[in-house]
Amino acid sequence: MTAAKRFVRVTHILFIILLGIQFIPDSSTKETFTASLIIFISGLEAIVLAASVFIKKEKSLSLILDIVGFIYAFLIIWTLATAKFNILNDLLFPAPGKVVHQFVEDRDKIWVNVISSLGTTFEGFILAAVIAIPLGLFIGWSARVGSAASYITKFFSSIPPIVYIPYGIALLPTFRSVSVFVIFLATFWPVFAGTMSGVLGVDKKILDSAKVLNVSRCEMLFSVILPASLQQIFLGCNQGLSVSFILLTSAEMIGARDGMGYYVKYYSDFGDYTRTITGLLVIGFVVIIVTFLFNMLQSYLLRWKK
Amino acid sequence: MNTNKIEIKDLTVNYTENKRSFNALHNVSFGVGSGEFVSVIGASGCGKSTLLSVLEGLYSPAGGSVEIDGKELRGTGTERGVVFQHYSLFPWMTTKKNIEFGIKQARHDVKRSERGRIAEEFLSKVGLTGFGEKYPSQLSGGMQQRAAIARALAMDTQILLMDEPFSAIDAKNRVILQELLLKLWEGSGHEERKTVVFVTHDIDEAILLSDRIVVLTAHPGTVNEIVNVPFERPRRREQLIKTDEYGRFRSRLLSLLYNDVAERIGGDEVVL
Repeated sequence: MTAAKRFVRVTHILFIILLGIQFIPDSSTKETFTASLIIFISGLEAIVLAASVFIKKEKSLSLILDIVGFIYAFLIIWTLATAKFNILNDLLFPAPGKVVHQFVEDRDKIWVNVISSLGTTFEGFILAAVIAIPLGLFIGWSARVGSAASYITKFFSSIPPIVYIPYGIALLPTFRSVSVFVIFLATFWPVFAGTMSGVLGVDKKILDSAKVLNVSRCEMLFSVILPASLQQIFLGCNQGLSVSFILLTSAEMIGARDGMGYYVKYYSDFGDYTRTITGLLVIGFVVIIVTFLFNMLQSYLLRWKK
Repeated sequence: MNTNKIEIKDLTVNYTENKRSFNALHNVSFGVGSGEFVSVIGASGCGKSTLLSVLEGLYSPAGGSVEIDGKELRGTGTERGVVFQHYSLFPWMTTKKNIEFGIKQARHDVKRSERGRIAEEFLSKVGLTGFGEKYPSQLSGGMQQRAAIARALAMDTQILLMDEPFSAIDAKNRVILQELLLKLWEGSGHEERKTVVFVTHDIDEAILLSDRIVVLTAHPGTVNEIVNVPFERPRRREQLIKTDEYGRFRSRLLSLLYNDVAERIGGDEVVL
């Protein structure tokens, strides 16, 4: 890559425009925290410049630059529509600097809530996976009950897990355990169904190959069928994970005392829309990061596939 | 004559496909001596792979019996090493791990720490030194079959069953693999040779490798003829194919295969 290809990019022009418009005098009557936004975007630009120096592949660099370009463009419109020309209602639409400022100010509270949300999700998710995967392997492998089980699964997975919440509240002592219970149900059925369809789809040639090596029943399930159906299992897990986040935040908005759903609901009840938007953005980032890490785990465990 | 290592007696196998049952093999009988290399050839659908499935223990016959060392065969067993056309190796294990797994299953006397060394030794025998950490999907089809052969040999079984192992390999690599197998099986002449049953539809492959060739006829699969391969070992392909004797032997085998086809198509109109 030539130096021009590395550094002469639309993204940087957008950055200069974004920086430039910060110096237009505010017409909003509310505090806009322009300095916070300038620090934030300068930090982002520094990261992008560092990436431009170090990243070797032109394709990955372009991807990062384009993503940041979109963020800059969005921030330009947001800044102009709120702080600078006050086109939008400034009670409902805080200036971007304000959101950045709020995030920094609330970081400890946000951190506690994120940890609480993640803890609940993982508890329910891991519990479901640990039970659903071995059960799916056993039942899928015993061909006779396999097809019966798939009908039962279809029935239960067609019940939207959120409707279990009222019953869960009656059954379980704490609201947190209700959240875990609902996430468990939301994850259990897709993972169980994915595992079973994985088992039923294992190539007969692989099974023959294992049989002629005289593998024990236990090895057949965990050393042969489990890896051979891993891709389908991950499909189920991905589905479970994305439903889990929807359910968790819904549950937190109904009755929890902490978690990101609670944070958003609590402050929007008070009309604090700066914190509401901050909370929304944080949830977005957390979900993206968790999904990304989960995908990394998946590609690591499936690295033997083409 | 000694008793045979593998004795197949009046073997009859029925196959069910789409709820229709048909006779895949009918009264097939032959024996394979200890240390003998026997190929089974025949047109597609003659039941040659079914025959091997029975020997592997994956399929139970409807009638007749298979005896190994005088004992009736029941199910799969690690005294028989198997190389399939596809998926002999587990795709989620590296080449070396695959071989180690085979050793673990077949040789209980080998310590865990020893397995890695043996795996490396057999990888080098098949020319795959340095490929131990690769996954099967990272290897070419020919290299995968080399690794499958390495595993079967590392399991140190007396019997080797090979089900069209080179059919999916391109012509050039197929020749190389045939020569590799020939060299490994013939060995230096000191150690005991393995008893091999090798299924193929490639006549030249069968001639190059085998002591005897069993020609099957289709619908239902029956033994048409069992032919002794009259060529001295160690064999060299280049020398072998130049001789007139080879040409005559090859056309005899061809006629055994194709006369059968001609009869089936309907006799008179077919001129071969």
